[in-house]
Amino acid sequence: MPGVAILFRSILPPGISPEIASGLPTSGAAVAASSPWLTAHIEHRFQHDRAEFHLRLDFALHAARTVVFGPSGSGKSSLLRVLAGLLKPDAGSIQLFGDTVCQIRHGGEAQVFLAAERRRVGLVMQSPAVFPHLTAARNVAFALHDRGKSGQKETIHSLLQLVEAENLAGYWPRELSGGQLQRIAIARTLAADPSILLLDEPFAALDAQNRQRISENLHQWARERRVPVLTVTHNLEEAFASGDEVLSMEEGRILAQGTPERVLARERERLLQTLRATPSLLAHGT
Amino acid sequence: MDTIALLLTLRLALVTTVILLVIAVPLAYWLAFTRYRWKTLVQAVCSLPIVLPPTVLGFYLLVGLGPRTALGRAITHLLGHPLAFSFAGLVVGSVIYSLPFAVQPLTSGFAAVDRSLLDAAATLGSGRWDRMVRVVLPLSRGSLLTAAVLSFAHTVGEFGVVLMIGGNLPGATRTLSIALYDQVQDFQYAQANRTALFLLAVCLLALTALYSRSQRRDARGGDLV
Repeated sequence: MPGVAILFRSILPPGISPEIASGLPTSGAAVAASSPWLTAHIEHRFQHDRAEFHLRLDFALHAARTVVFGPSGSGKSSLLRVLAGLLKPDAGSIQLFGDTVCQIRHGGEAQVFLAAERRRVGLVMQSPAVFPHLTAARNVAFALHDRGKSGQKETIHSLLQLVEAENLAGYWPRELSGGQLQRIAIARTLAADPSILLLDEPFAALDAQNRQRISENLHQWARERRVPVLTVTHNLEEAFASGDEVLSMEEGRILAQGTPERVLARERERLLQTLRATPSLLAHGT
Repeated sequence: MDTIALLLTLRLALVTTVILLVIAVPLAYWLAFTRYRWKTLVQAVCSLPIVLPPTVLGFYLLVGLGPRTALGRAITHLLGHPLAFSFAGLVVGSVIYSLPFAVQPLTSGFAAVDRSLLDAAATLGSGRWDRMVRVVLPLSRGSLLTAAVLSFAHTVGEFGVVLMIGGNLPGATRTLSIALYDQVQDFQYAQANRTALFLLAVCLLALTALYSRSQRRDARGGDLV
């Protein structure tokens, strides 16, 4: 079925052959067997662009680097907003490192709902949301409450260096490009010393070279501090290349969870099933 | 022109503006961001002075804060004199009467602040109060100025409420608009003209300053920084 092979090859990231993808996980990326850092059971209905969405998620995360992958509108960004405390789900519970930050019964009031400002969850959003009334350096300093002036200066410098933006410290946001603003937003998030990092397409505005370097710096920062990272992307290549664990989402539900190889295998199986169910498409590909 | 009335008017407008900003900022912040089901009723109450005849407001203030009510007696006990026919009474009346002129531009300004900035601030550990002080207020400087200018100008031009609650006591409650009324009643048209021209100039200047600032801001692409 060359048509299927061509179609399947098109969804594979470079470096992952269809042969690898077709097998179930081997000894590749390890998912730690220890207790999860995040346990979530979420139910939430919401409207977006006149369409109704229904998030129904039940999962636990162990890996240091997890990628949530799915098409636009699958609920990835809403998931991050719920985890960050910016969106209160209709029902469910969320535990971070064993602590309950959200517990809501069906149709009931929230029994526990820790506000975003008290969760210590760092969130880098798709739109950088850099404060327009503060310079780049003052943006990074926004979360640095309890450090002395010299300590602040040092932290700001090192974080700007990490995102390769140390020369932008004195600039106003209106003077910066989209990619530069995204770097400032990343540095600002790290300055808050989060216990987990949620990244919503954080490198979308960066070119490939910068994306690679800054992503490496960011993950090294997280590794050194043992901060787990949950990245959202609709880019298949990024999903399967940068996560120890992958969650595949569609229409508000998790279709598959596991190592990149396992999820890719399931994606492949799902795609093949879809193709078998539509013979005209197969005929067209041959 | 009646200098004593002029000074009293400016003092009243200044005190009213300061008090209004203190009250209107948290009220407008709440109105801009709350999902409270009775929010629209609160908004309607705050806007009532725009459509309500000033004499109606003045009458209820006069009765409500007079010696016949418990509140009125408590205020008299506290101040040593009743609120009616005093400068303090004028301030209370002016604050209520000019409330929508402060609350409405502030509510609009606060609501226009990009929500993603507030979300970002929250995830950076910034609480509700901190977000108002460090994000919303600096980004709403134009609205703050509009609220202050409109409150000041509106108080300078008050007549009905001032007359009902303050009467016409020279040096205590006789503002420029009351003086103008007296001058017309006494057929002193030259003096009345000077007083009217002054009131006209104050209002025109205030609005011109506001519009020119708004035009400059639009020319810079709506940037408030």
